[in-house]
Amino acid sequence: MEFSFGASASKILTTTGFSSLESGHIIMILVSCVLVYLAIWKKFEPLLLLPMGFGCLLANIPMSMMAYTDSGGLLNFFYQGITHEILPPLIFLGVGALTDFGPLLANPTTLLLGAAAQVGVYVTLIGAVLLGFNMHEASAIGIIGGADGPTSIFIASKLAPHLLAPIAVAAYSYMSLVPLIQPPIMKLLTTEKERKIKMAQLKPISQTVKILFPVVVTIVCCLMLPGVTPLLGMLMLGNLFRESGVTARLHETAETHLINIVTILLALAVGSSMTASSFLRLETLKIIALGLLAFCIATIGGMVFGKIMCKMTGGRVNPLIGSAGVSAVPMAARVSQKVGADADPSNFLLMHAMGPNVAGVIGSAVAAGVFISLFGDTVPEPHAAIADAIGTIEPGAKAAIAQVVEAIQQNH
Amino acid sequence: METSFLAAVNVSILAMAVIFTVLTVLIFTIQGLVKLIPYQAPPPAPSRRQTASSAGDDQDNHAAVITAVLAMHMGKSPNEFRIVNISQR
Repeated sequence: MEFSFGASASKILTTTGFSSLESGHIIMILVSCVLVYLAIWKKFEPLLLLPMGFGCLLANIPMSMMAYTDSGGLLNFFYQGITHEILPPLIFLGVGALTDFGPLLANPTTLLLGAAAQVGVYVTLIGAVLLGFNMHEASAIGIIGGADGPTSIFIASKLAPHLLAPIAVAAYSYMSLVPLIQPPIMKLLTTEKERKIKMAQLKPISQTVKILFPVVVTIVCCLMLPGVTPLLGMLMLGNLFRESGVTARLHETAETHLINIVTILLALAVGSSMTASSFLRLETLKIIALGLLAFCIATIGGMVFGKIMCKMTGGRVNPLIGSAGVSAVPMAARVSQKVGADADPSNFLLMHAMGPNVAGVIGSAVAAGVFISLFGDTVPEPHAAIADAIGTIEPGAKAAIAQVVEAIQQNH
Repeated sequence: METSFLAAVNVSILAMAVIFTVLTVLIFTIQGLVKLIPYQAPPPAPSRRQTASSAGDDQDNHAAVITAVLAMHMGKSPNEFRIVNISQR
């Protein structure tokens, strides 16, 4: 085998990433650097934005085979965890192991605050439809208002996989901005007197009730909305590990090592989907704007319902805990505590706000279940024809085929 | 566009109704559970009372310390004398 210096040098030059570098790659590398900067120096959800930003960086290095579409590449394997709906439910398992539902059980009516905050999801859905998205895409965008990253990823991968990257980035970015987004809305919607309301101490709850709760929620909610079982079932299993007292090792693993490992895989996989072709589009700007709307409306929904509860209970409920119904555990509850303490430093709302906060997790999972019930199995006509021809196919593949069919239709 | 908008509004109203229904069912279920299985305060932890054996251990320790100090003060070996009793005033 002969080697000439010139030919070898030329071959090396053509195999460097620089030879294939395009403007889209450069912009996305800059975007990834911004995400890494926000994670490290601004502490914006660093556990997620850091691996996500780095995944984006890796995916946009030409010829690295690290984009989610590069079959056989490392991050393509990680992405299978999203496509096959494995990683978001595993995150929920860890979240369940970390969550104490005690405040919710002590004051179960706060579940209604978690439900009211879901109004953000549906106002955003309507907004997205008005901006030209179809119902599947609008549902995936609307769920950003649930302020729950894994749920957003779960629904996006099911209903609009081509929008996964901007939806995930918007969801996690706004979750990290909850301390900036919520307080002005909370102050605008409440009077000084309402913010100073002190709530009665929560009553203790029997350990048996805490053990039965995850089992009962699984039976009630999953029978009503079977589509949400992967998320809610895992959340409740994690909580059962925590409360049962007989699975200390599983509980410890779920709340530490497992959730950490899955977070790395999930964030890298989402980052790998942030390629120029999927991210540098007008839709991304629309989704980022709609995401902000979703968070604001969700906060308003929770606050308004908090005020209604305040009136109905004769001033025994501080409306500030309503904003915690947007999920974003535990940051939204901390924001309620902080705004309450700003009005009266001796007011401690944290435990009261944890009730609607964990109710928000259940509420957003139920909202996701409604979307899956409505749109999860419905497929466009040509899609159904293909499904008939090739038999039962996976949900991820269904969505991909739907995109192909849509593209063919547009070309015609 | 108008059809899509109306469909979105319909979906939103229906979905919010479903969410409130599911969570209301949960509220009643939780309230029922809490009523059926009320919280029972755990029995009070036993108070820390000195047992005879621990009092004996303390006395031995005191005797050893006093013996050592006395031996040093009198310039004798600790084996040359013995403390037989320590009584509290």
